[in-house]
Amino acid sequence: MKKQMNKVLRQTEFWVFLIIIFLALIIQARSGAFFANNNIVDIMRSMICPSLYAVCALLAFVSTGPDVSFPLVAALSSYLAITISIKINYDGPWFVVYLIGMFFGALMGALNGFIIVKYKFPSLIVTLGTSSLFSGILLGTFEAARMDLPATLQRFAELSLLTVKNEKTGLGSTLPMPFLILVAVYIAAYLVLNYTMVGRGVYAIGGDEISAERAGFNVKKIRFGIFVVNGMIASIAGLCYAVMSMRYLPNEYAGGEMVVIAAIILGGTRMTGGIGTLKGCILGTLLLTMVTNSLILVGISVYWQKVFIGAIIIIGTAIPAIQSIFGKNKGKKVKGGEAA
Amino acid sequence: MKKKLKIDDNIFRLIIILVVFLLIAGITKGNSFLKVSIFQTMGRQMAEYGLMAVGCGICMISGGIDLSCVYVANLCGISAALLMQKNENAILPAILLAIVIGAACGAFNGFLISYLRIPPMLATLGSYQLFQGISVVISNGSTVSGAPEKYTDFGMKTVAGIPAAFLVFVLIIIIMSVVMGKTKFGARVFLVGTNAKCATFAGIKNKSIIIKTYMISGIVSGCAGLLSLARINSAKADFGTSYTMQCILIAVLGGVNPNGGFGTIPGIAIAVLILQVLSSYLNTFPDVSNYYRDCIWGIALIGVLILNHVINKKKSDKLAKMGS
Repeated sequence: MKKQMNKVLRQTEFWVFLIIIFLALIIQARSGAFFANNNIVDIMRSMICPSLYAVCALLAFVSTGPDVSFPLVAALSSYLAITISIKINYDGPWFVVYLIGMFFGALMGALNGFIIVKYKFPSLIVTLGTSSLFSGILLGTFEAARMDLPATLQRFAELSLLTVKNEKTGLGSTLPMPFLILVAVYIAAYLVLNYTMVGRGVYAIGGDEISAERAGFNVKKIRFGIFVVNGMIASIAGLCYAVMSMRYLPNEYAGGEMVVIAAIILGGTRMTGGIGTLKGCILGTLLLTMVTNSLILVGISVYWQKVFIGAIIIIGTAIPAIQSIFGKNKGKKVKGGEAA
Repeated sequence: MKKKLKIDDNIFRLIIILVVFLLIAGITKGNSFLKVSIFQTMGRQMAEYGLMAVGCGICMISGGIDLSCVYVANLCGISAALLMQKNENAILPAILLAIVIGAACGAFNGFLISYLRIPPMLATLGSYQLFQGISVVISNGSTVSGAPEKYTDFGMKTVAGIPAAFLVFVLIIIIMSVVMGKTKFGARVFLVGTNAKCATFAGIKNKSIIIKTYMISGIVSGCAGLLSLARINSAKADFGTSYTMQCILIAVLGGVNPNGGFGTIPGIAIAVLILQVLSSYLNTFPDVSNYYRDCIWGIALIGVLILNHVINKKKSDKLAKMGS
């Protein structure tokens, strides 16, 4: 029992969870509006896209290194999917549009994966380069502009999972269908990462590439596969974003990557690879979403938002670093004690 | 024996690329490209992101990366502008203030990286949000302008036809080349970047070297902020956000190894020239969308990486053959 307690205490996720509860109570005490049903639904709603991106970032970090191209992969693949379905006047089930998007996302991910695996360049630099390339293709070649969704996605966007109305303030809020997609992606990712050989391989190659190779994992194939899957998840996120905003907005995608990376690092993913959980992804994203959503509720000016996010990222990343320094000292002491 | 002038292979390649671009531009668009005014504009624009690229490049040589350059520059520009708004004659204090703020921001980054052992990418990622946030707060989220004329004149001033901003850029490049190439400190930065553990065993104080490296990056970025304030007479919290990517591209183009340990300041300077020539050349085609530039930067970045990789591999294969 004590051992279990210790294990929980050592997990970063636990501390993030505590911070979230603490923050929620403060916001509730200051504004009285945090636990209102519409605010909770709002937070869930604004978590959908960042949480999907977080899976991309997690897979990349755990296995290889940072991937910053997912917002642009999302933008370009959803643009292609939506344009194609409008051009051919497609009016079948909605998920076919998603499949088209995923196909293009996979292609773009394959480009990332190919360069990273073949030349062993740092993934940050490669994905910075490809995202610049994708943005050039999207805004330069295609001259993408705002556009309406194809009819089938429009109908999909109008469905809602849950509609709540706050009795006191009269503010309402709805939870759109993409929330179910989010849940499905997380369940699939959880099962694959924890119960399949490939999933364990993702962690193994991030922990120690050479050991993983000796243990029989095909490092190159797994790494390539991860970037392809990342492209697909990014394209799902991109289409979800379009569905939730009811139209396609090409300029709204870029720039979200850094906050997502910050969120998963807060959730306990290690920069050095091999460590990171989906639980952490959700908690980290929740924390940052709460901060951006709720500062207004507490009466802090929007101007301070960036300062808060920056401070949270720095403090959040410093805590594990400091923990590991102290952990090392502790280890030394124990060793010294044994020798004496 | 004749002493050969030693030129780095990489710099040699870069100079060839630059000359080829200039020739292409001169031949195809001679009458609209080869003009004094275009070269003057180029000199002014280039100085700003060129300096940030130098800052970022030094950090990459030390084995890290600095994503916060642009936001440090903005913060410095905004605070200098605010001080000069209040007091017209406080030009010198404003410049000093900007440089001190730049140094402080850099030292903060260095502290996070060396003492708290946060990976450089993350530390500067967090701190850039913080610096941008502070800029938004002190500027109330709007554009700060109204620097005294004496100061903004500097942005338009030319010395013998050469823009003053470009001269500042050249001066800083020379200083940084000497610091990185001729001093103990420079050699230590390269050592720390090649292998931090070996550097520690060689008796180098890694922590202070890293803090100093990021401080230099901060100061150089601060100068960039001052130059852009002089040129456009305004400073804004989200000015030039696309420069971050461009700085990394320039550093890699200039021969800096993203894993640390390799790279030269003159290389970075020539890469800046190449990029500016390319970008100004594209500007002479009115029907080519600006967004194509992104596309070309992306391809150039990955292309240069692959090219360097192939060339280095050939070289090491040759050496291996000679050995056996």
